Amino acid sequence: MSDPAERPSWAVYPTHSGEPAEGGVLGRSERKVDGLSRITGAAQFTDDLVLPRMVHGKFVRSTLPHAWIVSIDMSAAMALPGVVGVAIGPELPKRYGVIPVAQDETAMAIGKVRYIGEPIACIAAVDEETAHRAARLVRVEYEPLTPIFTIEDALDPSKPHIHEASRKPSNILRRVFQEYGDVQKGFAEADLVVEDTYEYPGSTHVPLEAHVALACPEGHGKLVLWSSTQNPHYVHRDVAHVLGMREQDIRLIKPTVGAGYGGKCDPFCTDIVAAHLARKLGRPVKIALEREEVFYTHRGRHPARMWLKMGFKKDGSITAVDFKAWAEGGAYASYGVVTSYYLGVFMPLPYTLENYRFESHRLYTNKPPCGPKRGHGAIQPRLALEMHVDRAALALGLDPAAMRTANCIEPDTETCNGLKVTSVGMKECIAAVVEASGYAAKRGKLGPGKGIGLAASAYMCGALHPVYQNELSQSSVQLKVDRSGEVTLFSGTADCGQGSIHMLAALCAERLGIEPDDVRVIEGDTSLTPVDLGSYSSRVTFMAGNACVAAADKVRDKIARAAAVKLGVEVGALVFRGRQVYVDAAPERALTFVDAVWLAEEMFGPIGEVGGYKPHKIGSRFRRQSVGPSPAYSFTAQVAEVGVDVETGVVTIEKIWVAHDCGRAINRRVVEGQIEGCVYMGVGEALYEEQRYRGGLMAVPSLLEYKVPTVHETPEICTFIVETHDPNGPFGAKEAGEGPQLSTVPAIANALHDATGLWFTKPPFTPDVVLAALTTARRRAGSA
Amino acid sequence: MLPLPRFEYSAPNDVRDASRFLAEPGSQLIAGGTDLLVSMKQRLFEPRHLVSIRRLGLRGVTVQGGVVRIGAATTLAQVATNLTVREQFPALSDACLTVATPTIQSMATLGGNLMLDTRCLYYNQPAGWRASLGYCLKREGTVCHVAPKGRGCYATQSADTVPALWLYGAEVEFQSTRGVVLRKVSDMYRDDGMAWHGVGRDEVLVAVRLPLAEARVGHRKLRTRQAIDYAQVLVAVRAPVADGPWAAVISAVASSPLFVEAEDPTALAEAAFRASQPLSTHLPAATWRKRMVRVEVARAAAALGDGR
Repeated sequence: MSDPAERPSWAVYPTHSGEPAEGGVLGRSERKVDGLSRITGAAQFTDDLVLPRMVHGKFVRSTLPHAWIVSIDMSAAMALPGVVGVAIGPELPKRYGVIPVAQDETAMAIGKVRYIGEPIACIAAVDEETAHRAARLVRVEYEPLTPIFTIEDALDPSKPHIHEASRKPSNILRRVFQEYGDVQKGFAEADLVVEDTYEYPGSTHVPLEAHVALACPEGHGKLVLWSSTQNPHYVHRDVAHVLGMREQDIRLIKPTVGAGYGGKCDPFCTDIVAAHLARKLGRPVKIALEREEVFYTHRGRHPARMWLKMGFKKDGSITAVDFKAWAEGGAYASYGVVTSYYLGVFMPLPYTLENYRFESHRLYTNKPPCGPKRGHGAIQPRLALEMHVDRAALALGLDPAAMRTANCIEPDTETCNGLKVTSVGMKECIAAVVEASGYAAKRGKLGPGKGIGLAASAYMCGALHPVYQNELSQSSVQLKVDRSGEVTLFSGTADCGQGSIHMLAALCAERLGIEPDDVRVIEGDTSLTPVDLGSYSSRVTFMAGNACVAAADKVRDKIARAAAVKLGVEVGALVFRGRQVYVDAAPERALTFVDAVWLAEEMFGPIGEVGGYKPHKIGSRFRRQSVGPSPAYSFTAQVAEVGVDVETGVVTIEKIWVAHDCGRAINRRVVEGQIEGCVYMGVGEALYEEQRYRGGLMAVPSLLEYKVPTVHETPEICTFIVETHDPNGPFGAKEAGEGPQLSTVPAIANALHDATGLWFTKPPFTPDVVLAALTTARRRAGSA
Repeated sequence: MLPLPRFEYSAPNDVRDASRFLAEPGSQLIAGGTDLLVSMKQRLFEPRHLVSIRRLGLRGVTVQGGVVRIGAATTLAQVATNLTVREQFPALSDACLTVATPTIQSMATLGGNLMLDTRCLYYNQPAGWRASLGYCLKREGTVCHVAPKGRGCYATQSADTVPALWLYGAEVEFQSTRGVVLRKVSDMYRDDGMAWHGVGRDEVLVAVRLPLAEARVGHRKLRTRQAIDYAQVLVAVRAPVADGPWAAVISAVASSPLFVEAEDPTALAEAAFRASQPLSTHLPAATWRKRMVRVEVARAAAALGDGR
């Protein structure tokens, strides 16, 4: 078989997008093209949409964690004036899920409930209050089953299966084991071995907008579905699959989305049941979740128990890493198969490592399903790894910053587990935060209760392999150029606040020498826009950006050819800038962009082009390494300065310095916003956030008791952008939306050690826990 | 989203009309509504009839005969920024500014704060959650999840202004068709999470009266975040007046505020610590909250100086 890389392909790789124009769009710090509409309230979210004859759906949810459903009595609910219809699980028997090998979910429970809050039935009524009241009148009779709540129980073969069809010996969704190099030999060569266990809590995303879907039947058996989703393509596929419809008979539209952070990556009961009820009732149906329901819908961070053993040489180099993780995933798979890989595959970044072994388990329990949350699967092990590096540095008498820098991988290397790394700005990131924070002068010298800590991390820019096997584009962009000069950009991407609309407008404008405002971006509409796989795994800037540049290059070429004829020069002599096309050597010889477009349409007919992107087949030494490889990797370093109140245990984060290698900043303000957002979420996970349970009942499904930081608790964040111009990113750009969160919690944990002399291995670092640890340590010191 | 249950709404012009409405079963007084409406959304209250005090003319701060009288419908923001309050009762001003957020302070009223329902981790939750739990003693259930073997409800008194008002010697004026009744803040609350006050259902809280005196009071609220959150421990401390003792009121650790006195700040903190028996009504460990009572009282006392 020939090397797939040599196969002729339409795919753009690398992009040859070259250097941006001087005085062009790239690298500016400016407001997003859609920024004002969001902050003024002009943007239309799914719940803003109202249709004639629209009714509202409300779910009846399980009150038990694990039980057979004996009966559902809806008579009282149906007798309530205003109730127009109901649906129950067995009406939608097809199982679905984004990951083809783990489709274990139905839109509503069929025969059995697996977590508290699982939807059982849905009531449609003329208004939301009536639907809510009716849902409370439904009586469900259960036959309770033994629930599985812990890692131990999930691994216990004598315990019942949560999914009866599972052929695994216990409640394991996926076990992954990988070994590279010779781990035993690595430890034998080590001068120092550090070994410990860590526990990372589950947490949730807290998007401001709850999940909403609105479905409207069209004539001829077709359907329009509006959904607040990050992944229109996967929702489209799964809704069609479950409803037994042709995909082309469903138009899925993603209106403005009020954030996702991974929480809107799955197709949800809202989407499927709204569509189902709309067809059943022949009228529009809206389902808008309540905040309590968003908590139960979950898909949040997997709580993980971890064991890490690392070997070090005296000079700080790493001789071996042995890592085990158990992730408690809740009742359904969601993206859990991917999680099981992400827990381990990024550990060989960013430090040189030859001998690596990891084993991970993703388990089922009778709790709301976990899924992808910002930094998916990589957040938890990063805490362990970065704390281990600090522990080793202190034990070896090395400066933790210098030790990290000395062990950074170089650009254009392949890690022991086959990750092909192109651009690397790790050392520059470390240098930036160490210098700005005064880390070297402050470490160990800030006095009692004060500390400073450093951590580094790396993350992916999209998955090399799509979640379902195909050789099609992973991102595509279509451009239409109007003779008015307006450029309309169609893309299946899903801006969920992170700025992908602006990213596309800016790249297109940069290429055509116009302003981002001149580009109207139509995105996330399956009938209008070509497919993009969605906003997950930090893929959109890299992949959709490349597709966008490819399409813009084709448009540019046509315009340039027409303009060259008019101006009597070669195409290569032309510059596109400032809404003009002009001769580089003689700028006075110019056409306006509009005139140039007019000429191009005269020469070629209507102007419209498409561009697509799929990653180059990067041949890996390791056949099984299908989850983890990415076309590029981003790098982050951060320093946290903290204070600990020794009387109360309250931890205050004074300041965070963060540097992120995003390849190239397309819009500096958006990049800074993403980095700061990552740090903010990290601060929340360090100090407060933990998805607590009372048995199978989520302890605090409300934003009053599930604490996320307010402006008062958010530290000053000093942000540095490091640009490494990745050879394969659009104009060298990489991701910025997830990677920066990886090192926040470990930087804080390392700072806490500097402040207290204690290693806190289990976030969140709440005052009661911190004070108890300080008290124990004082007692021990007193008795010693 | 979470819809409100249906209800009728009246805003009478006269306190006696309001009192008559409130005497009817299923009616409920509403002032700022910042807490009540949330509780109604959670189906903790499903009143048939909401009776608003907004047209009763209960807003404003007046000074007469050595007494400052604050109308019950005066918002917390207005109380906090009133010059007389800031000069004479700074701890009350501070307390108002610790309530939730500035937007809520501009809606919430002083009367509403005094009548804030007792709170608990197992009670102030959405309806679906409480159904899964099997409800609790305070609402729809038979068991207290904080103390399953206990005999009562341990929901905590959580009104931010109460400890300061108590130590300033405040009185509360209630009016009904039966006339006007005055109650001292220090007599108003009972140590029972369900029947936490003795106010009749037809009584309208119309004003708070504060005697102009030389009391120096400090207020502290322990909470996870410096906005939004209810108190985990609430303390007010009064420096000695003449040769009297130090005094403290501790709240958010029991169904009623606790009052302690001692000769010096250290003894006061110790007395407060010993008097407080917080239970698992809040997320942070109860043992930690108990320790925090001592710290917070000591810090409040320290901020007042040597008491002279």
